[in-house]
Amino acid sequence: MSSITLRGLTKRFGAVAAVQNLNLEIQEGELVTLLGPSGCGKTTTLRLIAGLEVPDAGEVLFSGRPVTALPPERRNVGIVFQSYALFPHMTVWQNVAFGLEMRRESARLIRDRVGAILDRVQLRGLGDRYPHQLSGGQQQRVALARALVMNPAVLLLDEPLANLDARLREDMRFYIRQLQREVGITTVYVTHDQAEAMVLADRIAIMRDGRLQQIGPPEEIYRRPSSAWVAEFVGLSNFIPGRVAGRENGLLVVRTAAGTFTCAGQAEAGADVLICVRPEALRFDDTYPNRLRGTVRERVYLGNLVDYRVEAPGGLQLRVQADPSWAVAPGGTVNLSFDPSAAWAVDAREG
Amino acid sequence: MASTEGILRAGVRVAPRRGLPPWLLIAPTLLLLTVFFVVPYVNMVRMSLLVKPAIGAYEPEFTLANYARALLDPFHWRVMYRTFSLAGVTTALTLVVAYPVAYHLTYAPRRRQRWLLMLLISPLLVSLVVRGFAWMILLGRVGLVNLTVQRLTGHELVLIGTPAAIVIGLVHVYVPFMALAIAGALQNIPPELIQAARSLGASPWAAFRRVVWPLSLPGVQAGTLLVFVLAVSSYVIPILLGASNVLVMPMLIVQTLLDAFNWPLGSALSMVFFGLTAGVVAVYLRLLARGMPWTRA
Repeated sequence: MSSITLRGLTKRFGAVAAVQNLNLEIQEGELVTLLGPSGCGKTTTLRLIAGLEVPDAGEVLFSGRPVTALPPERRNVGIVFQSYALFPHMTVWQNVAFGLEMRRESARLIRDRVGAILDRVQLRGLGDRYPHQLSGGQQQRVALARALVMNPAVLLLDEPLANLDARLREDMRFYIRQLQREVGITTVYVTHDQAEAMVLADRIAIMRDGRLQQIGPPEEIYRRPSSAWVAEFVGLSNFIPGRVAGRENGLLVVRTAAGTFTCAGQAEAGADVLICVRPEALRFDDTYPNRLRGTVRERVYLGNLVDYRVEAPGGLQLRVQADPSWAVAPGGTVNLSFDPSAAWAVDAREG
Repeated sequence: MASTEGILRAGVRVAPRRGLPPWLLIAPTLLLLTVFFVVPYVNMVRMSLLVKPAIGAYEPEFTLANYARALLDPFHWRVMYRTFSLAGVTTALTLVVAYPVAYHLTYAPRRRQRWLLMLLISPLLVSLVVRGFAWMILLGRVGLVNLTVQRLTGHELVLIGTPAAIVIGLVHVYVPFMALAIAGALQNIPPELIQAARSLGASPWAAFRRVVWPLSLPGVQAGTLLVFVLAVSSYVIPILLGASNVLVMPMLIVQTLLDAFNWPLGSALSMVFFGLTAGVVAVYLRLLARGMPWTRA
């Protein structure tokens, strides 16, 4: 097992910089998800770690040891591809044994290890099948077994659940998480699905246009996004534009068209900011000091909650998600309030 | 998966309804094959069973004498053996030459691919006879090959009129067919498979041997089959480059039919030749299938 350090990593394809000056530190045994929209450079980053691409600048280190110059076969990484990349001409058993054979392990050791890992991914008895005779979920687990049987220093997963149907995807998230915890392997997991990233990650690294936007535990990313773009990419968010008037009790005081609010955040007085308020942080009562009035324009019933569009002073369109027991009809006037600590100011210029 | 299947199946169901009925679509081909292939072939089977009189082409009387003669004359077997071994060597050499070409064609940058493809196909624009003559000049007594060898070693190397000349000519003609068949299979191998193999500790060579080569076998099968069948039945190149010294079955059959004017025997030889070729191909396919167990599962 290794830690991973990326230092000033840059990769260009022609004129396009897929990854730009990326610095990232991943601890031993940690699971970090690289999250971002397609084309943000997350898969390229993974391939740079794997040695499948050579960086134009920067370094990759495993436990402090530079591996930038090593070809993939000498890095001891396990990769699970989005397409699984199972060898179609080999049985499940042969697929899993392939890496150990390449390492010239003894027949006895190969037999024991392959048998043990197939048990672990619950594929015992399917060893003689060919990949095309398996379901998508089973193929996925063969790909995991093939990577894990090598006891790799790091495990790299490239959108491993993208080809599964929604139900199975949900199950596999928890399965992969549990497996990773049991094996305790340092893991980098690429995905564009924020829910997947939330469930799996110790820390989420958000990427955009080849650059790292923010890295932190899921809760921090959700509650304290570094920019409006991050806030929008990870979940839904309302943005209330305003200008910082000053500081009070460690909170920012922000004047907006809908009134003066206090919220968490770092900004100088006079700075233009956007206050991020998640739809579920807005409540239809006067519980919190940040209060405003609005008119309900739309109400959509979603089962576990109700989604409202509320028009507030200053032309603000707010999205509010509330418990279904609250029944406000469209056209009605409502009082809204939100907790200052659940609101977070981000720089209005970035984004 | 299910949705893709659904779309495919729907496509199959819709297409005939909108277009022409299927039997009408294949009718021209069917007609052509029947008139120019099935009828002559049936006629040939019949011919091979007729009696050859001293004067005239045949008599409407059935006999197995032609087959007895075709099968029992050791001379025929020598020609047969020569034909199959020439075709076998040609096929093997073509494979050796064409595989790297196909590999390079597949993994070259896209723009170079187009040029390589044009280069590969360009010989097909020149008539087979012209190319045969070109090789006659190159391989003859005053040809480039002999003159060079003579100057360098003092020995003579006149290839024209030898089996080697025929093999050289045939390999040259068949390399594009083989390369295209193999390139087709190579292009179907997802690059991730090679990357996966590499990440599992395989060197580039091991990745080729364990992943690329077995997965290209369907293309190798198609290419070798095509080249073998073409080589076995080749006529022009053996005549030109064998300089009538090296007799192969197609030449023997033509001589029997036209020069000896023995249609029944020529037909019987054709039938025997056809049967043997089909047998060789069947055995080859079975052996190859044993090397590709995943295609049967």
